[in-house]
Amino acid sequence: MNAVEIDNLTYTYPGASQPTLNDISLQIAQGDFLAVVGNNGCGKSTLCKVLNGLIPHFITGTFRGAVRVGGLNTLESDVGVLAQKVGYVYQDFENQIVRPTVLDDASYSCLNYAFPDYLERGRAALAQCGLEGREEEYVWQLSGGQTHLLALAGAVSLSPDILILDEPIAQLDPMHADRIYDVLQTLNQQHGKTIIVIEHHTEYIADYCKHVLLMKDGRVQWLLPTGEALQRVEELESCNIFPPQVTQAAYRLRESGRLPANVPLPTTVNQGKTAFSSLVYHAPAVPDAPPAPPEDAAVSFRNVSLSYRSVKGEPRTVFSGLDLTIRQGERVALIGSNGAGKSTLMKMMVGLLRPQNGTVSLFGSPIGEKKAEDLSRQISLVYQNPEEMFIKDSIHADIAYAMQVRGLPDWQDRTHALLERFRLTPLQDRDGRLMSGGQMRRASLAIGVALEPGILLLDEPTANLDIATRREIMGVLEDMKDIIQTAVIATHDMQLVCQWADRIIVLRGGQVVADGSRDEIFSRQDLVDLVGIRPPEIFSMARELTPHALCYTVDDFTNCFLEA
Amino acid sequence: MEHMMSKLSENILDKFSMDFLRNQVLKNAYGNDDTIIAALDPRILIAWYLFFGVIPWFVNDLPFLLGSFVLVMVTTLLARVAGLVLFLFALGVFSQTGYLFLATLLFGGNTSAIAPLLVLTLKVATISLASVTVFSGLDPDRLSNGLMWYGCPERLSFSISYAYRMLPMLMEEFQNVLLSYRLRGNPPAHDTLTGKVRYLIYQVKIIMESFYPLMLNTAKRSRTTVEALELRGYRYAAVNKSVKKLKLSALKVTDNDLLFLAISALWVALSILFSTLL
Repeated sequence: MNAVEIDNLTYTYPGASQPTLNDISLQIAQGDFLAVVGNNGCGKSTLCKVLNGLIPHFITGTFRGAVRVGGLNTLESDVGVLAQKVGYVYQDFENQIVRPTVLDDASYSCLNYAFPDYLERGRAALAQCGLEGREEEYVWQLSGGQTHLLALAGAVSLSPDILILDEPIAQLDPMHADRIYDVLQTLNQQHGKTIIVIEHHTEYIADYCKHVLLMKDGRVQWLLPTGEALQRVEELESCNIFPPQVTQAAYRLRESGRLPANVPLPTTVNQGKTAFSSLVYHAPAVPDAPPAPPEDAAVSFRNVSLSYRSVKGEPRTVFSGLDLTIRQGERVALIGSNGAGKSTLMKMMVGLLRPQNGTVSLFGSPIGEKKAEDLSRQISLVYQNPEEMFIKDSIHADIAYAMQVRGLPDWQDRTHALLERFRLTPLQDRDGRLMSGGQMRRASLAIGVALEPGILLLDEPTANLDIATRREIMGVLEDMKDIIQTAVIATHDMQLVCQWADRIIVLRGGQVVADGSRDEIFSRQDLVDLVGIRPPEIFSMARELTPHALCYTVDDFTNCFLEA
Repeated sequence: MEHMMSKLSENILDKFSMDFLRNQVLKNAYGNDDTIIAALDPRILIAWYLFFGVIPWFVNDLPFLLGSFVLVMVTTLLARVAGLVLFLFALGVFSQTGYLFLATLLFGGNTSAIAPLLVLTLKVATISLASVTVFSGLDPDRLSNGLMWYGCPERLSFSISYAYRMLPMLMEEFQNVLLSYRLRGNPPAHDTLTGKVRYLIYQVKIIMESFYPLMLNTAKRSRTTVEALELRGYRYAAVNKSVKKLKLSALKVTDNDLLFLAISALWVALSILFSTLL
């Protein structure tokens, strides 16, 4: 039996001139684990909202065709009935949590649909999602990953046959991301749920999903088994989906004749072991760079301690006795799991948080005496959520604001130059909040560099972005080298770390547990286990083949692995 | 001395940050769920509140008022109410009656005005502390369940608990917007008196300007919440009688509740007895 059957569905949002979904016919089998991929704006999220009846019951518009979910026609059933068939977890999942405690939230739907055993159902759902023992906790005590699991538990509690997750791991560190997918896999295999994820992390698709659905411009291109789907490298790349690095590397090696043309491309590290077995690692010649004389300190922390007030009991200590120096000209990546103190560290650097003890100095003088406003010419912070940087009603005004209020003589010219540089000129009169994810991110970067600070801090600059936009942002970072001497990025994105940073600082529970170059960090297995950081897939692939290999990008890999 | 003053003013500013407010709101709502008061049945507490929140208005008997005041003070202490609420309470009582006393003195009155003002102050204080005990000693969900039992519409009780859920989010959003202004704005220097006045005006202006991004950001976030509420059956619960029954079945009157009522009644009786003996 099919879990989902869609016949000739065409849907247009109210007021839109073009249909968002265009003549879609589709069957999803019961028990499938399906990944939906496609460009930004290709209709993935809309398709999922059709399945749970939000479209057309809650969001109106022009709806033609038929959608049957678990045998029910969505036009004839209401949202409440469908909600018990289809669970939905939003991309901004924290906004779907409406109750203060964990058990309350997990059982909330069951209570509303008048199940007398709502608490048991909530408990069972929490257990299925790996949140046992946290029933009585308050929702704001949970980490990002746990909050996501709670949102999932809220959906699971109604025991729907189908679960839909919109970009489940976009904001999570690799360890939490693995947890989510492991939970989904258990739900799929042991509880027989049909799982549908909107996902652009193809490494996870290769590891967990059974089928892949490619959408383009509101149409279904194809629905194929995962192994077969990820082979279609060119087609995926034309839709800005990037296959796993292993597959990309194999594809390039095949194009250059180093791998046979008739063998399927590997999609996981395991498959790669056989596929690449004929290749031999040739270590690249490393030019002996003379050790550069140490530059002056840009930011330094001396014996810094900081704790947050907590709702109950003792304040929570984030840092105690932290010593750290960031030198001028460095490109630092700050990594560590959710809650390790990355954002807090950045907020101290810009003076938004004052440490209880110790001093934070900027270019040699302590910032304790300066005001945050005076610091803004030396250091700038770009928030994780770009929305929070938009304080005016157009991005032109936002970018101009800091220069304008300081009365810089050429602020108008500089604003235009920045708009041009970040390709925002055509959008300059729009409110930042109404732009797409990538545009918002570009705008927030433009705001951050407007005063040409010597030090730029970026909090998760690539979170929530699809791969194409991510590449674009990385290009922009590369591009800004001339303005920004010193930059610090807090991120979970190890591909970004490997390609961009020259120094990596690993935080764990407010302690610097490692500090060094990418070779020093990623070759330490103990560290990888301790902190749960994960090197890029291609790095692990190379290590599987040759234990001492150091390949950080697909290019490194294809350059180093040659025929014997 | 100067150092101490600057330390102090920094401290006060620090205390009044958005972060502090947010923390106090959460603390007030959920930080004291393990107190004796929080464990009481909300229906009993609401009934108790109806007595101490209404009767003192109509009684002018000093021993009774003093007795009630002492009782609600004890319950407030037992409820471990957040500092900010107590501060607002003190401010409120003063603004109600304290200024009257000062005004009386200023316009030639004498200390004989104390007694009547004291009675008024006691009334206001008793009623306020009773409210503080009930409304901040109980967590919002128990409070709203209690209200629902007395027949308040389900939407009101949901609003109470949802407001508590939203408020920290709203304040966090507000804090972030203010931080953006702080990082990018250019406030006037404030070492002279006129500078300080201008700085104050600047701050007020910033707070007003923060309103626009605050509302838009919150609206953007709540779009998901509205859809999620629909999916999670909020609208069904509002019209379904059995949901209400389910929610209220968790309420239970225990010995502790009866003991609490008994002690309160005894105390009130004692203070009335004392008043008649006098």
